[in-house]
Amino acid sequence: MGTRKRPAKKIKGGQKAAAPKVEVKVIEKIPKLTDMESKVLKVSQKFEKEYNFSLPVKVVQDIAKVVSQSGTKASDKLISAMVKKAYEKVEKHLVDPHESVGIVAAQSIGEPGTQMTLRTFHYAGVAEMNVTLGLPRLIEILDARRTPSTPVMTIYLKKDYSKNLEKVKEIASRIETTTLIDVCDMETDIINMKLRVKPNKEKLALKGIDREKLQKEMDRFDDCEVIDEGEDIVVNLKMGEDIKTPYRRLMVLIEQIKGLKLGGIDGIVRALIKKDADTDEYVIYTEGTNLRAVLQLPEVDVTRTTTNDVLEIYDVLGIEAARTAIIRETSKTLDEQGLNVDIRHLMLVADIMTNDGEVRAIGRHGVSGRKSSVLARAAFEITSTHLLRAGLTGDEDPLDGVAENIIVGQPVTLGTGAVHLIYKPQEKVKKGKEKKDKKEE
Amino acid sequence: MMKYTRFEKARIIGARALQISMGAPVLIDVPRGEIDPVKIAEAEFEKGVIPITVKRMM
Repeated sequence: MGTRKRPAKKIKGGQKAAAPKVEVKVIEKIPKLTDMESKVLKVSQKFEKEYNFSLPVKVVQDIAKVVSQSGTKASDKLISAMVKKAYEKVEKHLVDPHESVGIVAAQSIGEPGTQMTLRTFHYAGVAEMNVTLGLPRLIEILDARRTPSTPVMTIYLKKDYSKNLEKVKEIASRIETTTLIDVCDMETDIINMKLRVKPNKEKLALKGIDREKLQKEMDRFDDCEVIDEGEDIVVNLKMGEDIKTPYRRLMVLIEQIKGLKLGGIDGIVRALIKKDADTDEYVIYTEGTNLRAVLQLPEVDVTRTTTNDVLEIYDVLGIEAARTAIIRETSKTLDEQGLNVDIRHLMLVADIMTNDGEVRAIGRHGVSGRKSSVLARAAFEITSTHLLRAGLTGDEDPLDGVAENIIVGQPVTLGTGAVHLIYKPQEKVKKGKEKKDKKEE
Repeated sequence: MMKYTRFEKARIIGARALQISMGAPVLIDVPRGEIDPVKIAEAEFEKGVIPITVKRMM
């Protein structure tokens, strides 16, 4: 996990002509190192041979930060000593091969999990917005549900727009789905079978919709006639013979016209603007998500905009992004509850969920239900069915998991059980001793 | 010298202690009165005289 990821190769040539025009820019994952950082990095590389691993970049950056912040001129000797100490600490914290990290992760997430709130809803700082938190949210993420119960997007804007409140408001109104009832008042005239739509000028202007568009949208029903009467727009229900129940039709029409979509992005119910206290920029929070559509807006900063819907991220950005999203969402959920779980446990969970290229749930329908070993699946659920099918199809079990080996009565391939001993002839005494292969007994 | 993980160390000492407990010749000078095969095996491991190593398979 300490290895650096190479930035993706630049795509040569243009994009496909049919695709919407999207700016292609390689995002540098790791920012350029400062002078101090590269200095520390250089020092740390000297120790690589001695310790057989390289110091994580994060640690190097932290050391450099402390050194440059302390103000005093740290000597090379001091830096070298710090790096050496860091190596010792990191080495101490490395997991040994064959350590059963899975069960450690399970316990480390499970125990704090018992302390989490079971209450589903809670105000999450953002004005008037409900967000699922705590245990329900954690379960939701690990179950890899299609849609979260409270889908939320965080939309960051490019620098040119993010500090201009007027502009941000305008963008937010374009993102938020606007229906006709949001910008107009309505009156029903049952005697004349008419519908009087009274557009609210201020609201129209705010949403950037003109009357023509309004009329055009209403015109799409075959059985009515739309007349602009200056102030109001009147919808007449055509009284043809084919309409047997005009009253009911009128009632249906009212609902249809009320819900007429005038603008905005599908799926996004509400957009809220909030000022980020740290960076002093405006951020748009939305209820409902539509990542693909939002990322195509030219004003949106695609590098930071996200949604809390892991599967949507998987669909739009791919499996690596989904892995990152799982890590971020789970650690955010735990952090909000004031629980400290080492991020490496969450990384492991995210890796397990995504390692075969698609997002799989933890549990029956995902990871546990689709294990490759027959015996492991049989141990988990519906034992007879799994065994019967395996028998019919002549499946083989390589016995390399834990459950299988316990069933068979062998030491599991973890910890000391995974060590294979061989005979090592003593260099000085060159008498042929018999081979003691302790593993195969 | 190759570094052993704690699992490998435990396994090697364990295997050696079993041999000693069953009467194998001890490869170091054991202090008088030391009869615990595990302690003897540990001392042997520290000295690096146990003729057992591990095969690491990926």
